[in-house]
Amino acid sequence: MAQPTTLQPPAASATQDAPRTGNWDGGNEPFKASYGKLMMWFFLLSDAFTFAAFLTTYGLIRHKHEVFTGAAEKFVFSTRWWPVPDKVFNAFPGLHGMDVPLGFVALMTMILILSSVTMVLAVEAGHRMDKNDVQKWLLWTILFGTTFLLSQAWEWSHFIHGSEKGMLMADGSTFYGANLQVNEYGPVLFADLFFFITGFHGTHVFSGVCLLIWCFIATSNGTFHKRGHYEMIEKIGLYWHFVDLVWVFVFTFFYLV
Amino acid sequence: MAAHATDETLPQGEIAKPNTAWIWKTFFILVGITAVEFVFVFLMEPSTLRNSIFIALTILKAFYIVAEFMHLKHETKGLIWTILIPVSLLVWLLVALITEGSYVGEVLENMFK
Repeated sequence: MAQPTTLQPPAASATQDAPRTGNWDGGNEPFKASYGKLMMWFFLLSDAFTFAAFLTTYGLIRHKHEVFTGAAEKFVFSTRWWPVPDKVFNAFPGLHGMDVPLGFVALMTMILILSSVTMVLAVEAGHRMDKNDVQKWLLWTILFGTTFLLSQAWEWSHFIHGSEKGMLMADGSTFYGANLQVNEYGPVLFADLFFFITGFHGTHVFSGVCLLIWCFIATSNGTFHKRGHYEMIEKIGLYWHFVDLVWVFVFTFFYLV
Repeated sequence: MAAHATDETLPQGEIAKPNTAWIWKTFFILVGITAVEFVFVFLMEPSTLRNSIFIALTILKAFYIVAEFMHLKHETKGLIWTILIPVSLLVWLLVALITEGSYVGEVLENMFK
């Protein structure tokens, strides 16, 4: 007997057509994070690679140079060996001629950590939809961020103008401070790496302050409140904490080690 | 549209109480670690051990910033690994190139001997 010719879907099709709801089957958020936040994380990951390249370069070049092995009190600046950081960074604004090893950089570190705290407080206020608190903490963060930038400007200016002693050059002249070709502290690359690493970090802080100012204006205009959430503050917050994180590493590898 | 005439962005109704104890706790941990670092700068002669201590303390500080402030500790496991695995490559980069640097320095020093 001939088979009926009508086309029948396989019996199992009813269950196969049911939508799949697994984590990675689409239509949901496997990471439980919004697109914007994820992209901020991936951007920060790539930025971490850039900063790590800088710091690794610093490590390589430093290990390539000789180490000063004498007693700490006998240390003198020389292009022969890598300088000891607490001998280079020992000036403090208003305390002219005094030896305050790493004092100013300690203050800068405190300011940046504090700015990170006020940033989390702004994010926390955003979760509670408390516009006034968001504004307050954003302003504090902008204040600390700007203070950090001004401190870095002072640090750079001092580094560039140099000590009163300077360094005696081969032709009998004395060179003060630092530029990209010569510096009184040690090998040429020491000043170059200082300018590039702290400069690249400072540029990040500057971008962060600009983003925060924009955030403050948008908060004041009620943009985020009307949107129903303050996620933008969280995203900028991630960036700001990353900048603080980078400083923690710059601080260790440039000033402590 | 009269309903839109009032400023809707002003706080309406109850605003939840701030929950900030964990933030300040993290802050004091970070300040404490930085203070310990300064103790080591001034009380210990430079050595490989001292540098290792600094690096360990730095990673501890980084952990608190990333886990608490950046909230990574409270994200899903997938997101945590997505960030941590690529970063672990950087550790290899650092170790490899610092070793390379020491070698280059040695070669340069012994070149004309």
